[in-house]
Amino acid sequence: MEKKKIVISPVTRIEGHAKITIDLNEQGGVDDARIHVTQYRGFEKMCEGRPYTEMPALTARTCGICPVSHVISSTKACDNLLAVRPPKAARNLRRIINLAQIIQSHALNFYHLSSPDFVYGFDAAPEDRNIFKLMQTNPDMAKDGINLRAFGQKIIEELGGKRIHPTWIVPGGVSHPITSEQKEKILAQIPQAMEIAQKTLKYFVSNLHRFQKEIDNFASFPSLFMGLVNKKGKLEHYDGFLRFIDSEGNVLEDGVDPIFYKDYIGEAVEKDSYLKSPYYKPLGYERGMYRVGPLARLNVANACGTPMADKEFERFKNLNDGKPVLNSFYYHYARIIEIIYGIERIEELLKEPETLSDNIRSHASINRDKGVGCSEAPRGTLFHDYEVTNDGIITGVNLIIATGNNNLAMNAGVKQVAQAFVDGNNITDGALNRVEAVIRCFDPCLSCSTHATGIVTSRIEVRDHNKQIVDVMHRS
Amino acid sequence: MRRVIVGFGNDLRGEDGFGIEVVKQLQKYPLKNTKLIRTFQLTPELALELQEFDEIIFVDAAHSDTNHYTLACNLEKTNQNTISHHISIEMILSILNSLYDSFPIFQVYSMLTNSYDIVKNQEKYNENIIKTVKYIKNL
Repeated sequence: MEKKKIVISPVTRIEGHAKITIDLNEQGGVDDARIHVTQYRGFEKMCEGRPYTEMPALTARTCGICPVSHVISSTKACDNLLAVRPPKAARNLRRIINLAQIIQSHALNFYHLSSPDFVYGFDAAPEDRNIFKLMQTNPDMAKDGINLRAFGQKIIEELGGKRIHPTWIVPGGVSHPITSEQKEKILAQIPQAMEIAQKTLKYFVSNLHRFQKEIDNFASFPSLFMGLVNKKGKLEHYDGFLRFIDSEGNVLEDGVDPIFYKDYIGEAVEKDSYLKSPYYKPLGYERGMYRVGPLARLNVANACGTPMADKEFERFKNLNDGKPVLNSFYYHYARIIEIIYGIERIEELLKEPETLSDNIRSHASINRDKGVGCSEAPRGTLFHDYEVTNDGIITGVNLIIATGNNNLAMNAGVKQVAQAFVDGNNITDGALNRVEAVIRCFDPCLSCSTHATGIVTSRIEVRDHNKQIVDVMHRS
Repeated sequence: MRRVIVGFGNDLRGEDGFGIEVVKQLQKYPLKNTKLIRTFQLTPELALELQEFDEIIFVDAAHSDTNHYTLACNLEKTNQNTISHHISIEMILSILNSLYDSFPIFQVYSMLTNSYDIVKNQEKYNENIIKTVKYIKNL
């Protein structure tokens, strides 16, 4: 058999546009596999020349699913330019809206993008393995997804004024305080949200035994992990310090102020993708491959810091005897634990008396010519790095989007899954679905890294040993 | 008859804001038993709000490389299986039918365009907004 290349393009049930190529050798085995992000971004250049005050609104437009994450990192970069720390109420409110964003995003990934694989299995026919079938056979699960997403979106709307692209978070704080009525309205929704999250956890954990082969082969390999932790080393999504650990759990860097991220993170560019490939600088490219996002956050943290999440966190830690969990399939598990944490933490923050304070914004002029903002977005650590003139006009922007941090790991994962499941002599839909599904574990938001046009569908190409495409399959 | 009018699109993206502009204009009129919604995108959780209505009118800008500024009322079947953070009209109707036992009658008012940077022809654009508003408020 001659060498061939399989290309899955675009990849389905993810946010954005990508394709996967799989190189087959002469025996039909997989030589290599890669994910290519085929959308182009350009926000770094587009923002040059704009006043810094516009950056939160401008960069929020990077993405329609996690605009809040961008606003958070952007306003933190602006806080850094002003050299101010927002008042406690503003920090709490920013934390609440950031967690609401994470909950709604995780809910969409779990219930609507990934659950068809869990419910019907990876080998089910494509016509059965989709959200329409799920709505018919498991309407309660589909409704749960909608309700949990609505929980997060309503908080964003309640605080930010609108669900998508809210402009309430501003340099120095937030634009208006929360009222007691708003607080009570959100608190009233918490029991239902928690009930859904616990039900989902139970479902997922009780079905894990069905996916042992996927657990073993879905991007299951040693890598570094990076994420924010608070002063006590606990889970942190808004502030805190960067922690890097290796696959054995050894702490490589701790207490790193994110403004010094460039000392630790290098950014490589590959010729076949518009997505940057960040790496841990001391180990170099590509040895410095690290993972971010829910799995990484739980791996780097000592604890979650809320009762119910911590209970499950212990079970999560036991998966690998206290060492980092290396199987990317468990991103889904980590996502559910983070949903539980988010709900608990929102309740805690709302009940803090200071959250209701009217002191919500610090005012200042430009005090620095460089500012970095960092937070945890649903998919991982997000960096906004701005340079400005004395008048606050942007002269340079560098963004490291959460998904980009995972680029090297996603590539390694695609290769591992392709080698485990794809047989060039008998290419099955189930095998190709698994190649896509490993990407879904990371829940990449490629629209975030670029801007999507059209609708997400999928395409698979087969190339021979001369890299010539010999077959193309479209999936949608 | 409880009616909801959903205008969707991005009013910062040229003619993509057609649905938003139509709803903004409709807000000036006292429409009985009618709720107006402006949104960037159709999202799964919008179904929670729409389930209580007997009739839904969707207003948007639909992509077309020909027939610019034509007003159309069609619902092309495309990529029904696709779900993301934003969804199609077909998808939201399917969610209403399958999950909420809600079978509203619906209409789609689209202006065909391929201009998402600027409003290319302000006169025609305004004319279409006025025409659509007039039609909907007289329903």
